Amino acid sequence: MNSLLTISPIGASILVVLLPLLAFIIQAVLGKKSTSGIWSLAAISISTLLSGIFVFAQVWNGTALQVDYSWFTIGEKTFNVGILLNNLTVLMQFIVCIIALPVHIYSKAYMKGDAGIHRYWMYLSLFCFAMLGLTISKNLLLMYIFWELVGFASYLLIGFWYTKESAVQANKKAFLMNRIGDLGFLIGIAILFNTFGTLDIVDILGKDGLLYQGIVDQNSGLMTAAGICFFLGAMAKSAQFPLHLWLPDAMEGPTSVSSLIHAATMVAAGVFLLSSIFPLFNGTVLLIIAIIGTITAVTAAIFALAQYDIKKVLAFSTISQLGYMMVAVGIGAWDAGMFHLATHAFFKCLLFLSAGALIHEMAHLKAHNNGDFDPQDLRNMGGLRQYMPKTFVLMTVASLALAGFPLTSGFLSKDAIVISAFEWAMQKGGVHLLIPILLVLVSILTAFYIGRLIFKAFFGKLRVSNLEAPALHEAPKTMLLPMAFLAVCSLFFVFSFNPFSYANSGILNGLAVQYSFTEIHALHTIIPITLTLTALLSWWLGYNWYVKGTYPLQANSSWMRFAQNQFGMNEWMEKTFVAPTLLLGKASYWFDKYLVDGLVNGASYVIRKISEIITWIDKHIVDGIVNAVAQLAYELGNAFRFVQNGRLQNYLGFTLTAVLIGIIYLILR
Amino acid sequence: MITLTHFLVVSACIFCIGLYTVIAKRNAIMILVGIELMINAAILNLVAFGKYDKLNYSGQIFALFAIVLAAASVAVGLAIILNVYRHYKTINPDNITDLRD
Amino acid sequence: MNLELFLFYAFAALAIGSSLLVVSLKNPARALFLFFITLFAMAGLFLFALADFVAITQIMVYVGGVLILMIFAFMLSNKELLADIQHISGSFLSLPSWQSILLALGFFAVFILGIREWNNDMPEWMLSNIQEGMVITPHDNNIQQLGIKFMTQYVLPFEVISIFLLMALIGAAHLSRKEESQ
Repeated sequence: MNSLLTISPIGASILVVLLPLLAFIIQAVLGKKSTSGIWSLAAISISTLLSGIFVFAQVWNGTALQVDYSWFTIGEKTFNVGILLNNLTVLMQFIVCIIALPVHIYSKAYMKGDAGIHRYWMYLSLFCFAMLGLTISKNLLLMYIFWELVGFASYLLIGFWYTKESAVQANKKAFLMNRIGDLGFLIGIAILFNTFGTLDIVDILGKDGLLYQGIVDQNSGLMTAAGICFFLGAMAKSAQFPLHLWLPDAMEGPTSVSSLIHAATMVAAGVFLLSSIFPLFNGTVLLIIAIIGTITAVTAAIFALAQYDIKKVLAFSTISQLGYMMVAVGIGAWDAGMFHLATHAFFKCLLFLSAGALIHEMAHLKAHNNGDFDPQDLRNMGGLRQYMPKTFVLMTVASLALAGFPLTSGFLSKDAIVISAFEWAMQKGGVHLLIPILLVLVSILTAFYIGRLIFKAFFGKLRVSNLEAPALHEAPKTMLLPMAFLAVCSLFFVFSFNPFSYANSGILNGLAVQYSFTEIHALHTIIPITLTLTALLSWWLGYNWYVKGTYPLQANSSWMRFAQNQFGMNEWMEKTFVAPTLLLGKASYWFDKYLVDGLVNGASYVIRKISEIITWIDKHIVDGIVNAVAQLAYELGNAFRFVQNGRLQNYLGFTLTAVLIGIIYLILR
Repeated sequence: MITLTHFLVVSACIFCIGLYTVIAKRNAIMILVGIELMINAAILNLVAFGKYDKLNYSGQIFALFAIVLAAASVAVGLAIILNVYRHYKTINPDNITDLRD
Repeated sequence: MNLELFLFYAFAALAIGSSLLVVSLKNPARALFLFFITLFAMAGLFLFALADFVAITQIMVYVGGVLILMIFAFMLSNKELLADIQHISGSFLSLPSWQSILLALGFFAVFILGIREWNNDMPEWMLSNIQEGMVITPHDNNIQQLGIKFMTQYVLPFEVISIFLLMALIGAAHLSRKEESQ
């Protein structure tokens, strides 16, 4: 037992990574014979246990561990593969494990009966392997390999229902968008390798790493380029404007996958990457990161207002929250970013899982009644609170966390970012203040759209008509339990015992970043109160609009007048606030769709034209030459065709003659 | 005194006769015989050179290996010829021209 | 001309002559039986190269195994040719095709040329072995030496070749089995 307990964190962490790979291989070998997913489930369970007990608990707040194995040598450069265990990496690994485990359990019920379920488990294990490997890589090259693997697994899972045209389009889009980012990542790696001659994160960025030895000026253009390249990689993975377009489409995948990959873990990999190579960035790059993060947060929050698809709302919300984390990295408070990453992982995963439960039930309803409606459309939901009370409670907890209400984890981490942003902007002054102000705006919008989602889905009456009996019921236990677990993790005490101050949270203390800006105490009380009040206000507003505003329509005549009045006010509100907001939302969506997409499409059009010209050249000139050569060869071959008479001995004779002539040539030479 | 050259000339003769057999004969079994002749010529060479290597005995050892290999090749070759005969009802390689273009 | 040289020439003439007959006879059955003589003569030539064990192996493997196999295969398969034996008319010898003759003679010329060149510069190991007397003499116990070498220096090739032979035999048996479905 003692020897079991003294398993080294390094070995344990390797085991954590390799177990899902093993499950992947077993599942791949078993194929259709194994549909229970027991291998994947077992692997991730053991991984989670190992990660929690032998890695996280051992390394957290302890000394960082690292180990290197030499991998291959090109010329004089030896490439190492290494494992780095410090607070950041073990935290990330543990988060991935602890999110993946409930999602696996949830999937067992959610994906039950799907024809391709063996593929599902296979891909899921592959994803876990890649993601867990990504978190503890010490070498940027190794990280890049896992990074690509993660992208590939995501590609496979988005297109899981590959018979659906939209899913295929979506996974293609995701893959191509990610390629842009991956290219950036690769160029960044190349620049680093060229500059430092190694890709080891510790060697470059460690306490007395190469970065500080004056090999290269940190503010030089080259390092700025490297930083921007790495950020480009993170942008694509973490769906930052304007490379965020793939994430809403990626919702074509199974909801459980969206919750794991496109909400909690993979999309956060960009933030994680930036955090782990943070010292590399100079002021310019950080400012760009902060600006891009802000733009993303604002635009995505506005887009989320105008969406009707429940998963798209959540997708845009994810993008918006990722923007928050990016801002945190950009202002230098990457620990706050990681903190928000951790809290966000839990509640956003829970939101997705709840949404999955809703969609599941709506789809059942649709199948039962042969209805013709979109089970993901918010306009078709409503009143689900009566049928699925537990889901309602769980989802509300997650929504409150997302909106940043006190006592939730979201409150802590969001405050951490917003307050840090304010402090940073105060230090810099001037236009920089726009960033935290926009963040506050986003926070209000966030509260509003998530409130809208909750009210539309759970309050009022079921909006699908022509149903005999709405046979809706609560989600099964295997789905509810993981959700309950995540809901508990969305509360404050998991991260900090003080529900109103983020300063005591374990993650922030563990990561301990030196801020470049001074603390302003007043902000620590003003900001949380402002955020809470505005969030409350927007929920109240949402409640009025979406819950009360719809009641009068079905009420009897005695209510009518009052209701009409109310309705009129609503209408007025609708006109003055909602319509412009919706319009803005739509306009931004339009902008996103036509201008940003249009730009992309325009670029692709130009490239297509160029490629057409090249094709012409290829076809008529290059091919012409090739064809001429081929024609010549054909004629020659035709002339010597009699050689190919199929008689073995003739072939042998020709061969020997050629050998003889060769030997004679050698003799005579 | 028998010199190395004697052996070499004899083996060259046998080899060329085997070569001729392989190319000219219109019977698969005779082709096999030709191959055996060529292998035998090679073995003769090995043995003749092996006379000058007392340390390793490499010539004789590899001559033995070659004999074994030749036996194996004959076994497989004959099996193939039997199959070919079953399939084409002939063992004249001239009549088996499936490789023709 | 001593007796040794005379015997060598006799064996050489026997080997070359019989192999020439093998290739020129029209009747394959006869040719196969003549092939016996060629192989015996070759075994005799091996003796002159002081390779007694190789010579015995040659007789055992070739004459006892390979040739028997060939004759069996010939008689089992070639009904058509067996039938032809009855009415082989015309010349006793088959006519050579001039291209093959040319090719064979070309190779022969190249070999002879090579052998002539060869005598001028022998490889170093042979010269040094001859000088140091590391040459096999008629009094050496070849078989014992071969046994030792097989089990020590050449044990890996020996095992490999054993496996190979096994594989070839299984393969041959598999190839020539009668397929029941047809």
